[in-house]
Amino acid sequence: MEKENLWKSALAQIQLDISEPNFKTWFKKTSISEIKDNKAIISVPSNFVKSWIKKKYHKKILKSLKNVNSNIEDIDYIILANNTDEKKEAIKVENNNHPQMEFQELSLDPETGLNPKYTFDNFVIGPFNELAHAAGFAVSDNPGFVYNPLFIYSKTGLGKTHLLQAIGNKINKNKEKKVLYIPAQKFISEIISAIRGNKMDDFKYKYKDIDVFIIDDIQFLSGKEKTQEEFFHTFNELYEKNKQIILSSDRHPKSISALTDRLRSRFEGGMIADIGCPDTETRAAILKAKAKEKGFSFPDNVYYYIADNVKKNIRELEGVLNKIIIQQQITKKNINIEDVKLIIKNINQISSSSLSFSKLIKTVSDFYDVNEKDITGKSRKREIVKSRQIIIYILRKNLNYSFPYIAKKIGGKDHTTIMYSFSKIENEVKKNNDIKEEISYIEESLTTT
Amino acid sequence: MNIDLLQKNLKEGLSIVGRASSKSSNLPILKNILMDSRNGFLGLSATDLEIGIKWSTLVKVEKEGGIAIPYNSLSSFINFLPNDKINLKEENSNLFIDCKEYKTQIRGVSVDDFPEIPSFSKEKSFIVNSNVLCDSLSQIIDIPSMSKVKPEISGILFSFNEDELKIVATDSYRLAEKKVKVKKEEDGDFSFIIPQRTAREIINIFKEEEKDITVIFGENQILFKVIMDDFDHSKIELTSKIIEGNYPNYESIIPGEYKTQVIINREDFLNKVKAGSVFASKINEVNLHISPEKGEVYLKSGNNDLGNYEAKIEGKSEGEEVKISFNYRFLLDGLTNMKSSEVIFEASNESAPGVLKPVGKSDYIYVVMPIKN
Repeated sequence: MEKENLWKSALAQIQLDISEPNFKTWFKKTSISEIKDNKAIISVPSNFVKSWIKKKYHKKILKSLKNVNSNIEDIDYIILANNTDEKKEAIKVENNNHPQMEFQELSLDPETGLNPKYTFDNFVIGPFNELAHAAGFAVSDNPGFVYNPLFIYSKTGLGKTHLLQAIGNKINKNKEKKVLYIPAQKFISEIISAIRGNKMDDFKYKYKDIDVFIIDDIQFLSGKEKTQEEFFHTFNELYEKNKQIILSSDRHPKSISALTDRLRSRFEGGMIADIGCPDTETRAAILKAKAKEKGFSFPDNVYYYIADNVKKNIRELEGVLNKIIIQQQITKKNINIEDVKLIIKNINQISSSSLSFSKLIKTVSDFYDVNEKDITGKSRKREIVKSRQIIIYILRKNLNYSFPYIAKKIGGKDHTTIMYSFSKIENEVKKNNDIKEEISYIEESLTTT
Repeated sequence: MNIDLLQKNLKEGLSIVGRASSKSSNLPILKNILMDSRNGFLGLSATDLEIGIKWSTLVKVEKEGGIAIPYNSLSSFINFLPNDKINLKEENSNLFIDCKEYKTQIRGVSVDDFPEIPSFSKEKSFIVNSNVLCDSLSQIIDIPSMSKVKPEISGILFSFNEDELKIVATDSYRLAEKKVKVKKEEDGDFSFIIPQRTAREIINIFKEEEKDITVIFGENQILFKVIMDDFDHSKIELTSKIIEGNYPNYESIIPGEYKTQVIINREDFLNKVKAGSVFASKINEVNLHISPEKGEVYLKSGNNDLGNYEAKIEGKSEGEEVKISFNYRFLLDGLTNMKSSEVIFEASNESAPGVLKPVGKSDYIYVVMPIKN
């Protein structure tokens, strides 16, 4: 405060002695950045200004400063280009509504990899994510000491990334801790290129000094042994130094296939929190918040209608909302519930036609980490039989294929085998929550990718 | 000051430094240029406090000295003179111009009132051929757009990595990266961002010079200079501020792989996109349909008021079938900035970026985001 007042009174004196254009050109965006050993350090916006002020006004500035504070004996100058009133933090009003897509990477902070738009303030809390939110919030208050590692899992599009980034952004705000957010896919490709370019040391160095390490979509490590090994080392090194580690996945660590046991046990060593599906009220609240963010508002029954009819995930909700906003912009009239009904009907038609047999086989075999060919073959191995039965169940349930047709498709089995498989899974779904989750995950990824 | 030089020389110098003289400024002194003669050279300099240009030439110096003169009046007057010897003499803050039958006196300002172009200490430097630099910059110069929110991407990134210079520009919808051959003196990787305007002036000023440009980078500033043919004295020096901040991690934008690839004749593609632009909708959308199985590439556009357009493009394609829409202007920009006769287009799906590259050269890449369906 003292510095500011000192500079203000000095400027008031200088202003009297020089012409207004001169004053405006040279003294705009200047300030005292510190006073050290009776020396005032004046920050100026550019080199041009520095050399000019030094040459023309040095004595005048010193005299004016002395008049106010007789202790000051000398002045020095530094260039601070960003000491302007237009702070960088001004967050751009997102215009997601234009169909022209943008590079998302450019919104990321190059140092932390975080996107500043994800905060706790715009994170909608409901019963489905209460636990994950509370754990995340606690971690952001005291990183490294409460829940370490924090493992958050949920199906896609329910706000994992938002929560992870919000934690990172909150910790990053006080600048004392070094935060790094990285999607697992990027982590993998970094390792691969480090190995290829013989730069493993650079890679290790990069992760050495991090205080908070956030890695998203960890399930992509599945099956990548070398990456898992490197990740294991990184994890241990950070963990031993009490550095916070936050992980996310689309399933429980137990269900991630082809993951080494030592990693799995590390993941399970801290706090595991899941995000479930939001209930109708929360979905409507989320829609309302998103619409507000984009600068629009619709009648409440529109939000509720969408929330009632689009149940899958938040990303999908946002997709519908975007369509409605575009519609409103094109027609230039207010959207009513009938318009929304029509829009949702169109969307649903597309999604039911996108399920194909080959895609189903691929998704299921990826999920259980079995060979695609074995599914239509004769193998009786347990995991293959299970995959086969789940495919049969999904085909029957979602596409209503006949049993003989499924039998033919799945490699010439008897149709009674198919009937047996179907009823077996059907029963199990009722009893066993794990299998229910697995199937809904598979269905999810069939419609989203 | 009292010097003799040829009109042609003075005219050339004025046209170069004039680029930095300020046209509208609340500081009238910046509408002047500085003339300064010493040691057998005349130096002209101008600045608008963002960039500064100094041009020097060999002259016959009778008496050393200097003066600041309003640029517009001086430059338009000199343009009317014949290409003959001019005598310039400064007396009591007046400039006397004497050339054959023409005699003039222009009122000037004392040298002391003119802001000097700041000098700075060198941190890193490199040398690049002016043609190479100007051609490379021209390939990406039009991409950035002014951004108050992210000043970093309103400029052009110069990034050195293992003796390779990459210059990069983006407007958040598309991104171009060009590799430039340079001679580097210092070791170590470094990077800086120059304002788009500085890059434009570099092209304007140095494209005629077939010389080596020395680029010196230091605290908050950058200097581009060429030296004279016969003397070890700089001929043109362009000083500019650089943009503070870190350029986003742009490399993650460039896709590492693709699902569909097609090689097409550039002229043909360009022409068909242009034709399609006539029918493009309000959002400038044109749609590419590549089906490697049938070996066909179609470009379509349409709009409810006018009608529809479809053109078949010959090309070698491989990979998966894809339908992807773009703003036709972005496609045109990428295509016109490439010089090769054939181009490679790569895509993965309708919401992932498309890539354009010249065939036969790996020094240019243009990444463009699609339009959502």
